[in-house]
Amino acid sequence: MEFKDYYSALGVARDASDDDIRKAYRKLARKYHPDVSKEADADAKMREVNEARDVLSDKEKRAAYDQLADHVARGGSPDGGFRQPPPGWDEGFEFHRGPAQGPADHADFSEFFSSIFGNRGGTGQRGGGAPYRERGEDHHAAIEISLEDALHGAERQLSLRAQEIDAQGRPRLVDRTLDVKIPAGVRPGQYIRLAGQGLPGHGGEPAGDLYLEVRIAPHPRYRIEGHDLYMALPVTPTEAALGAQVTVPTPAGGQVHVTIPKGARGGMKLRIKEYGLPGKTPGHLYLLLEIALPPADSDAARAAYEQLAKAAPFNPRLHLGA
Amino acid sequence: MRAVTTVLDAAPLTLRELARAVGAEDRWVVRLVEVEILHVDTPAEPPERWHFRSADLQRALAARRLERDFGANLDTAALILDLQAELRRARALLGAHGLG
Repeated sequence: MEFKDYYSALGVARDASDDDIRKAYRKLARKYHPDVSKEADADAKMREVNEARDVLSDKEKRAAYDQLADHVARGGSPDGGFRQPPPGWDEGFEFHRGPAQGPADHADFSEFFSSIFGNRGGTGQRGGGAPYRERGEDHHAAIEISLEDALHGAERQLSLRAQEIDAQGRPRLVDRTLDVKIPAGVRPGQYIRLAGQGLPGHGGEPAGDLYLEVRIAPHPRYRIEGHDLYMALPVTPTEAALGAQVTVPTPAGGQVHVTIPKGARGGMKLRIKEYGLPGKTPGHLYLLLEIALPPADSDAARAAYEQLAKAAPFNPRLHLGA
Repeated sequence: MRAVTTVLDAAPLTLRELARAVGAEDRWVVRLVEVEILHVDTPAEPPERWHFRSADLQRALAARRLERDFGANLDTAALILDLQAELRRARALLGAHGLG
């Protein structure tokens, strides 16, 4: 496991103030924000930056991390490899979730982070010695499925690293596998809730829930928008000019006959009702017409083009004043 | 292990469940409704009777991050979320016309 240098991830010095850390984080969070970033690895960078901020902006976690970093610097293996924090490295520290932190982010953090702070970012122990009761926190993850899975429904196995409380009441990380049923008609951005699969509860209280955000992998033929699917449909100039009946494959694996209207143009949108994602309100399949030119690769084809130019003189640049 | 799964939109969340899912207090979710980050079908009903779906959970999580990451207050977060939604709509429109 690689030892993570959280200071260099944020581009700050070891003695950076809280304000320096906040400013550095905000600058990087803007740079790698998924809606604006043009960087290819923006997602990975954002995760790294979030993780570094999570540790360095929390006094207790930062102090514990600094202590661990010193320990590794003194006795770490020559290749910089890092396996597990030494026993007792966190003695004297107690980690708390800050008031403005949500449970969603730790799920994305690295193995290094989990090995130190656990998935909830803390030891799970509370001061005062009094036993406490608390329902487990909800946990978040994402699941990427194919469009075919979304159309037909599927069963998928999901591997998760999760936290359990051992007999001594200390958290430990375990790998577990869940069978998840993906219902037909699920859409990107929808959440699937798995009751009781979040973090364990304390003092006999129930576990939290696991929320899976559905993502659908890009499809070579269809683009998804809400319930609807979009597909480019090539037609010949003859079909577009004179109108035609063409056969179109449907997302569910069948075929439909579609009427191309006379005088159709490239970019025209045709709707096939209720052939989008299934559901209580089924989506539609939209066909975006593309005019595909027959190749002029034979004498007969070239002659036909010349004949067409004579029979139907046409200046497509007229509106440009050319 | 086989887990019981439900799609949020078929079984919406209560106010308490949404608050728990984003690691917040109930009153924080009420504030999201007040500043119109979230819209409920029955705003006149007491908050215990409100229901929230996938899009609400997504917006609540995004608001939580804006608040935490940039110190945005909820009015500013509401504006940013509306602008983000507008940006996505515009990009989808470009994509629908083959310009994406």
